[in-house]
Amino acid sequence: MSHVEVMTGNQAASTAACLARPDVIAAYPITPQSSVVEDISKAIAEGKLDALISEVESEHSAMSVLEGAALGEARTFSATSSQGLAFMYEPYFRASTLRLPIVMAIANREMISPQTLWASAQDSLSVRDAGWIQYYVENNQEILDTILQAFCVAEDKRVLLPINICYDGFYLSHMSERVDVPDQAQVDAFLPQCYKPDHIYLDPDRPMAVDPLTNGDLLMEYRQKHLEAQQRALTVIEEASEVFCNLFGRHWDGCVEAYKIDHNTKGAIITLGSMTGAAREAIDRLQSEGLPIGLIKIRVVRPFPKTELRELLSGIRAVGVVDRNVCFGWNTGIIYQEVLAAISGSPSIVHQPFIAGLGGEDITIEMFETAARQVVTLAQKKNGSRDQETIWLRSVSEEVHK
Amino acid sequence: MSVLDVLDRPDVISPGISACVGCSVELTLRTVMKVLGRNSVLAIPPGCMGGVGVVGWDKKSGAEIPVFFPLLTNTASMLSGLRLAYKRQGRDGIHVVAFAGDGASVDAGFQALSGAAERNDRIIYICYDNEGYMNTGYQRSGATPKGAWTSTTPYGKLQIKKDMPRIMADHRIPYVSTCSPAYMKDLVEKVEKAKRNKAGFSYLHVLNPCVGGWGFPPEESIEIARLSVKTRYFPLYEVVNGEYHITVDIPNPLPVSDYVSRLKKFSRTSEVALTEMQELIDQQWQELKALEQVRVNGA
Ligand SMILES: Cc1ncc(C[n+]2csc(CCOP(=O)(O)OP(=O)(O)O)c2C)c(N)n1
Ligand code: SF4
Ligand SMILES: [Mg+2]
Repeated sequence: MSHVEVMTGNQAASTAACLARPDVIAAYPITPQSSVVEDISKAIAEGKLDALISEVESEHSAMSVLEGAALGEARTFSATSSQGLAFMYEPYFRASTLRLPIVMAIANREMISPQTLWASAQDSLSVRDAGWIQYYVENNQEILDTILQAFCVAEDKRVLLPINICYDGFYLSHMSERVDVPDQAQVDAFLPQCYKPDHIYLDPDRPMAVDPLTNGDLLMEYRQKHLEAQQRALTVIEEASEVFCNLFGRHWDGCVEAYKIDHNTKGAIITLGSMTGAAREAIDRLQSEGLPIGLIKIRVVRPFPKTELRELLSGIRAVGVVDRNVCFGWNTGIIYQEVLAAISGSPSIVHQPFIAGLGGEDITIEMFETAARQVVTLAQKKNGSRDQETIWLRSVSEEVHK
Repeated sequence: MSVLDVLDRPDVISPGISACVGCSVELTLRTVMKVLGRNSVLAIPPGCMGGVGVVGWDKKSGAEIPVFFPLLTNTASMLSGLRLAYKRQGRDGIHVVAFAGDGASVDAGFQALSGAAERNDRIIYICYDNEGYMNTGYQRSGATPKGAWTSTTPYGKLQIKKDMPRIMADHRIPYVSTCSPAYMKDLVEKVEKAKRNKAGFSYLHVLNPCVGGWGFPPEESIEIARLSVKTRYFPLYEVVNGEYHITVDIPNPLPVSDYVSRLKKFSRTSEVALTEMQELIDQQWQELKALEQVRVNGA
């Protein structure tokens, strides 16, 4: 039987990691992720988790240890944030191109400079093209559930890719919520018993040369297969959500979730991560006023669920994307560009970029109301320009800073 | 079993690798792997040995044992992870081996190496020191000696060589030694000790004369290596559980000029620099002798 606990997002992450019975863990502390490492170390020291942990000297080594371990056929887990992720970039990229199903939580934190500790998905979104699968989740229950699902997806023979479960630093990592914790037997029934690779391994009984110098032709074949595996993951992610729901009774829409969208909806706000809670409130309020606006939460950014998103937006006139990150060079947020790419074949949709909540700034319900009203206005306008300038949603007016 | 029997064992490194004629690194690698045997996994980071095709699979190049490229920067930590995986499976007999250049060990991979040594992970880490980044065209490394020409030190390097074996010994790992391809018996015995070391990290530092970079005829590789020892430029010693022991004593050393004059890379080295080099060598030998007197736990 499952039981209910009040726990922080970080505790939800470490609890899920322990339930997944990893063989090897390696992680290096960084705010706001640190307590994940502490709690797993404690679980091992107290004999509650039968696993080996490497007390590494850096994130670069954390990822490298896990790659070695995964090549030795171990199930592996790590967690990091911002500068730690940046520091591990070299082995990070390689985890996916070696097709190692490493699972790593990311407590999202803004990238410096200026010096900062607080939330923004700038860290993990900046590495969205490193070949990993990336989930972005909304609350602590979803952290726990998604980490379990991630092991299932990562080790699926149709996928064999590493996975990030990203959750906003402090907003989730340090906030306590009610979390339903499944018991070990339930999780054991859900996950594969162990990680047993037949595609890449280091074993003196079955000698293999891993990663010899490879010509471009063969490399292209590997890349093509990697991209195909990412596409297959869209289905596998949906399946994992379904199976999980059947076993645990909680349903997280696989890659995208539509909230209060029906055939009357004319505008949609698109969100990522913990901001979705405030957005739901705003949509509830505006719908009670009769405004035709709904919400779409993107749960998986890599692979990008373009087909599902297109279907959800098929009857919609205007979308607004709220990004807690920036896309340098485009003067928008990153998810805005992703959405734009997905709907590039739908000239009838007007789109509006918003940037909000950088460096951990609160994205309030009122901000979402402002954004949503703007989207509704665009939806009702005839012949409006498709290319809207970014609107910065800020709590303190710029005047104050002058 | 004699050293000759070991050297007679079949090679696990394929014949067709494309190292320079007279490469002392290739000889060292083949020898080391004869000692360690087939129940091993070999990590070769980017560098000459990776570049000449040891990480391969087609039997003309490559190795007959599992072999892989770690990154230049993470050889030791990848092996730490591999060791943990084998530990989980109770496969303690597998040798987890790094054969890494000075660049991959002394410079770019130093943090990972130091971390793994501090954790005392059970890895056999062999650094082949050819005193520069050969694979990328012979640029300076932290192991390049003062005065040596490299493609980034056209008038000779200004700084002294990083004393890596001593740094590793100061991690207090169970086994550290220095080795030379000119002293095969000594080398084989040291690799055997590392092979038997179940207590944790083993670090072996081999000074490998390099035909491609140092400027000497291929047939002189071993002679140059021997001179590096006979001049005390590169003393052969080991540090077992913190205790230093010189394994090849050199009571009557040759002057370092006998070594330096044989190598084109030192052709611009001045008299003053040579004197300084000799002083450093004398100083380091004295330190080593003093360290030999120190006994751990009053033993
Ligand atoms: C992070 C990174 N930076 C730079 C390189 C380029 N690189 C490849 S081999 C090498 C030098 C290796 O030198 P060393 O370890 O001494 O081996 P050698 O070539 O002398 O055998 C460098 C700088 C790299 N592979 N990775
Ligand atoms: S450059 Fe030096 S180390 Fe590299 S293969 Fe040639 S001799 Fe050996
Ligand atoms: Mg070198």
